[in-house]
Amino acid sequence: MIKKIVIATATLSALLLTGCSQTAPDLDGKNNISDATQIAGDTVTIDENKYGNEDGTSGQYNSSSDGFQSIYFDFGDYGISSSMENQIASNTNVANSAAGSKIKIEGNCDEFGTDEYNYALGLKRAKAVKDSIAAQGADTSKMVIVSFGESNPVCSNPTDGCYAQNRRVDLRLVK
Amino acid sequence: MRYLLFLLLFINLFAVDAKLKIETDVEQRSRIALVDGSTVPNDKIFKILLSDLKVSGHFLADTTQYEGDITSNFIEPALKNKEYVLKYALSQSTGIKLIIRLLKASDGRQVFKKSYAISTTRKMPFLVHKAISDINNVLKYPDISWINRYVVFSRYTSPRHSEILLADYTFNYQKVIIKGGLNLFPKWADKKQKSFYYTSYNDLLPTLYKINIYSGAKKKIASSEGMMVCSDVSKNGSKLLLTMAPNGQADIYELNLTTNAKTRVTKFNGIDVNGKYVDDESRMVFVSNRLGYANIFKKSIHSSAVSQVVYHGRNNNAVDAHGNKIVYSSRESKNAFGSNTFNLYLTSSRGSGTRPLTTTGANQFPRFSSDGSVVLFIKHSGSGSSIGYTNLTSQQSLLFPLGGRKIQSIDW
Repeated sequence: MIKKIVIATATLSALLLTGCSQTAPDLDGKNNISDATQIAGDTVTIDENKYGNEDGTSGQYNSSSDGFQSIYFDFGDYGISSSMENQIASNTNVANSAAGSKIKIEGNCDEFGTDEYNYALGLKRAKAVKDSIAAQGADTSKMVIVSFGESNPVCSNPTDGCYAQNRRVDLRLVK
Repeated sequence: MRYLLFLLLFINLFAVDAKLKIETDVEQRSRIALVDGSTVPNDKIFKILLSDLKVSGHFLADTTQYEGDITSNFIEPALKNKEYVLKYALSQSTGIKLIIRLLKASDGRQVFKKSYAISTTRKMPFLVHKAISDINNVLKYPDISWINRYVVFSRYTSPRHSEILLADYTFNYQKVIIKGGLNLFPKWADKKQKSFYYTSYNDLLPTLYKINIYSGAKKKIASSEGMMVCSDVSKNGSKLLLTMAPNGQADIYELNLTTNAKTRVTKFNGIDVNGKYVDDESRMVFVSNRLGYANIFKKSIHSSAVSQVVYHGRNNNAVDAHGNKIVYSSRESKNAFGSNTFNLYLTSSRGSGTRPLTTTGANQFPRFSSDGSVVLFIKHSGSGSSIGYTNLTSQQSLLFPLGGRKIQSIDW
């Protein structure tokens, strides 16, 4: 009986010791291959300069044009301030005189926001201007609003005055 | 006979202990030294090797650049205290070739050998990443194949102009994919990184396209007045979370690409953006100003109940998710202008177990790796901008300097 136990234990020990002494895999010769991997393929480069960002609108693209005036906003805000009421009234008159034309209202931000949230803030500013013009009686059915976030600054100097110029809504005719 | 029995049993017990010890060792980082066998030693490849080994969280690399014959199994006595020695040689002819040999430091025994070749010389960083990824797998450490992936990002070049580029995770490799015009918010469309979505501003309305990076084939997906961003792609690529504003109101929509049906997920009269699938993709987290400031919320895709996820900070304006893990950026200073402190926090979709990932600088654009084990972010500090990586397990971080141009959005 003891002899059987010894044999069984010896066999078990041999198996366990074999497991312990197992060496790391030696792949020499089997895997010595060129491996270009999935990134080997050539990727393209697309040039979209032909569009030039003109998108059918007129004038300078980082200010208002066609008689419209830009509307400026406080930091992080999308409400129309009382100091901008005259500009809103003026823009309403220009919009009424351009009845039948499509008008693009572009929301812009300073550089301090991040990611999607800044684009949404620019959008809220553009919509606030559109709603203010509508409240003064202009037909907004041919107006389109787009947010450019922080992508369209007027200036890039690190000054409060510069940042204030970038928190704006531009208006222009789509021609 | 009895003594022999006791001896064999003792050996068995020892064997079990030995096994336990091996498992314990595996939990620790492997000490490894690098030996450059190139004809002309290359400082750049050495730095990338060090970065890969460190960011993996599985290796403790010697930062001395040793030189030696790659064909020899000889281990310098000074390196015998390491566990492994990685010998490598880089050569260039028509393309670029990298040979690696992983040796046991104690006896010079070869554990792994492989050669890598690619025709495009400037893609060298990917060869290094693949080599370290393979070594990591051979040693049976948790997978780090995310280091082989492309990073896609957009950056501004001038007012109303941008470009979209591909990079390796260290940004040593960079290539422009789309130049000219204003093209923003790139987001990978599939796990294999053959295509990505992006928003083009080159038409009257912001328009979402899908582009194949190998063929250049473009497909128009959708357009919207106001804004259009692809914030997230479901795991199988069949559904998108979009931020759109068809009525001038930024809300989150789910687009089913199979049926082309759009479901409006949020209806708040404020800002709802940055939707990210969480849990089993029946819910999402997103950024909203419904409490008067930017914060992180969660809701089911198909029901109206909204719950707040984050209860600290007054400006939490960006979020990413992986499974039930959430990372978000939080503004922790109140400067209207100039430098602000933004820190990243890791939490769960239930808002529990919150812990900071960064403590200094402006850390933004948090993005999980494809396996959720590492967080990418952009760090702005007094010394400039960097791309950073934090390994959530080892809690090790790496920073790589970026050029001067401002990054608009990033995905990997």
